[in-house]
Parts: sequence; structure tokens; C-alpha cells
Amino acid sequence: MKIVAVTACPTGIAHTYMAAEQLTVTAKKLGIDIKVETQGAMGVENEITEEDLKEAKWVILAADIAIQDRERFKDINVIESSVQEAIKDPMRLFKKIQ
Amino acid sequence: MNELKKIKTYLLSGVSYAIPFVASGGILIALSIAFVPMSAQGPDFSNSPIMKLILDIGTSAFKLLVPVLSGYIAFGMVNRPGLVPGLVGGVIANEIGAGFLGGIVSGLLAGYVVMVIKKIKFPKFLVPVMPILILPALSTLIVGFIMYKILGVPIKDLMNILSSWLSVMGTGNSVVLAIILGAMIAFDMGGPINKTAFFFAAAMIKEGHFNIMGACAAAICIPPLGLGLATITAKSLWSEQERDAGKAALGMGIIGITEGAIPFAAGDPIRVIPTIMLSSIIGAVIAMLGKVGDHAPHGGLIVLPVIDNKLNYVLAILVGSVTCALLINVLKKLKAKKNKNLEHIV
Repeated sequence: MKIVAVTACPTGIAHTYMAAEQLTVTAKKLGIDIKVETQGAMGVENEITEEDLKEAKWVILAADIAIQDRERFKDINVIESSVQEAIKDPMRLFKKIQ
Repeated sequence: MNELKKIKTYLLSGVSYAIPFVASGGILIALSIAFVPMSAQGPDFSNSPIMKLILDIGTSAFKLLVPVLSGYIAFGMVNRPGLVPGLVGGVIANEIGAGFLGGIVSGLLAGYVVMVIKKIKFPKFLVPVMPILILPALSTLIVGFIMYKILGVPIKDLMNILSSWLSVMGTGNSVVLAIILGAMIAFDMGGPINKTAFFFAAAMIKEGHFNIMGACAAAICIPPLGLGLATITAKSLWSEQERDAGKAALGMGIIGITEGAIPFAAGDPIRVIPTIMLSSIIGAVIAMLGKVGDHAPHGGLIVLPVIDNKLNYVLAILVGSVTCALLINVLKKLKAKKNKNLEHIV
């Protein structure tokens, strides 16, 4: 299974990347293929491509701010959380995926 | 998501785009002030044309702060169509002296106005020109009118009340403010609550109240400095990984990045977060009572050149950091002891 995720916090220097790492590590544990796009102070990194979107059925949006290009995800299932939640308890987010 | 939570997200979106403007303006202004002689009327630029130039560039960046805040709050709400009314609303807020409060209001207003206009059913021949002509013009007209004629003046008055309250604030109130700001700064170490306090203090620099930022500047660097100090003074209580993080934290503390404390708090939030909150509060209160002023929207020792009452600033940071180091090491020791006892029982 493949899922995509976007992380974004207000400052975009620490929490954004910590959340991205937690999601990546947790997905690995569960044997899930994940791609995490970070929208930090340096702009969009590791951008989710159209191919990624074609394969993915779920997206996790771990953000404390409005994310860029949200319309991309209108056709797939969205799980929303705060950045803090993704850092503290990423497993809970993955459990929401059926 | 409920509406209040949504509004928080909108505001933080605006703040996240505005912060680099505070940094660029603040650092340039602080830099220019640091290199010219201080007179009774403030910094004297008459003999330093280059510093004056840097000051002017920094001031230009500062002027964009409120418009960008407002524009990107609206951008966070309704995407691209929000940018025009939001930016214009912010410029108006600046112009009438409604400051950052005005910018927050004009940004939210712009977002909601665009939402409403988008719902109106226009005749079919107008639909293609909606996004390029009608939406920008109409939304800007409405936001501009409301800012100039209805909301602007009350917000300006509110800003003046806030401003004069901050100027005449008695010792008791200023200590309360320092306690609140210190706690907020340390609580999530660079997260949304920290940024709220920071942004309030940074906005007050623009209004000429440097002591609020002074208190925050001390509070900002105490968590990483204190925890770094703790790992150096009691090596046995910390893992190798934490000791490495401690060195990094000291560096980050000096340059005023509270995030340096995150690795410690992530591992042991129950002990670390209350400790750094208390320490930052102590630092903020000492700075406030010591009339420390900070002319740059940043903390740590790196801003020392633009600090008023430098000695008290250093004192505030020292006392806060040492308290933090002592307290966290005592708590860690108690935990280690408890674990040992448990092993014994098992």
C-alpha cells in the first residue's frame, strides 16, 4: 500500500521535519510505502508528484497552518491532524486507515 | 474542525509567512542601531550613511510585515483570491495605525469576504472574468471600505489603549505579563503557542515597547541553554545521544533558537516541560524587572548588541539557565533513584 503525507508548522524549521520523520519511521514499521512532503521555511520539499497521487489512496495532513495546493487531494481519503499529534502518536493516525 | 480551531490555523498561516519579515527587518534595524552612537534622542545616524541605509532597508521590510500577515491570513483561508484584499487591507491597517491587530482583522475579513462573494450567483457572461476582474476589485473595495470607515478606528484605539497600558504598566502587571509570556515561550519550544507570544512581543517592538521583547528574548534562550548546561554538569544522568543534543542546544541557545530544547522534551515531557517553563518565567520576570529592552525580534545572546540594560539581560539568562539545569538534574536523579528502587522490589 502507498500513502502520501504533508507536514507543515508555523515556523517550518523543526516540527515540520520531526513530524515527517515520525511518519516515515512509523510507516516503515508497518510496511507501508509513504512519501512525506514538507512545507517548511525553505518551501515545498520532497514534493508529491502526480504519479504518487495516482498510486496513493490516503493522505495524512499533519499541519498547524493551511497547506499549499490542498486541492490535489480532493479525490483521495484525507486524515487530518495537528503536527504535535503526528510527532507524539503517529501510530494512531495510521490506525485510521482501513 | 470547529470555527475557532480553523481561525487559529488561518492566523498561524499568516504568522508563518510574516516571521521572515520580522527577522529581516528586525536584524537589519538592530544591526544598524548597534553600530552608531546612542544619544538621548535615540541612535544618532548623522555620521553613518551606510548604517542609515541599512536602517532604511530594514524599515522597508518592517513596513511589509502587517500587509504580509494580513494577506497570508486571507491566503490561508481562500487561497489565491484572498491575497489581494488581504494585502491591501494590511496596507490600510498600517496606514491608519491599527498595527498588527488591524492586520489580523483585515486578513480574516478579506478571507470571509471572498468566501461570501464566491457564493453569489453572477450572470453567466460575467463568470469568466470573475477571478481576474470582479473578485479582486469587489473584495478589495469591501475590505478597504470596512477598514477605513468602520473597523479601522476602533482597532487603532484598541492598539493605543494596549500601547498606553504597556507604557504605564505598574510593576505588578508587568510581572504578570512576563510570567505569561515566559510560560508561553517555553511551553512548546517554537510551536504555535511560543510563536503567539513571540509575535506579540515582536509587534510591540514596532510600537516602541522594547521591554516585552526583552522579557521574551531571555525566555527564548533559557530552555536550550539550561538543558545544555544540565548535560554538561551531570553527565551520568544523560545518555550519549542527549549529551550530543546538549552541545547543539547550547549553540542554539546562544543564537536564540528555543527548538534546541525539543529533543529533551520529546524524551521526557513530564519533567522537562514544567522545568523549562518555570526557568523561562524566572528569566522573563528578572528581565522585565531589570528593564531589559530588546530592539530585535529575536532572543539569545546573539542580540546582546541591541539590548538595553545588558547586565540585567545576562543576569536574567544566567539565573534562568542555572535554575533550569539544577532543577532538571534533581528531577532526573529522583527518577533514577525511583527506577533503582523498583528494580530492587522486582
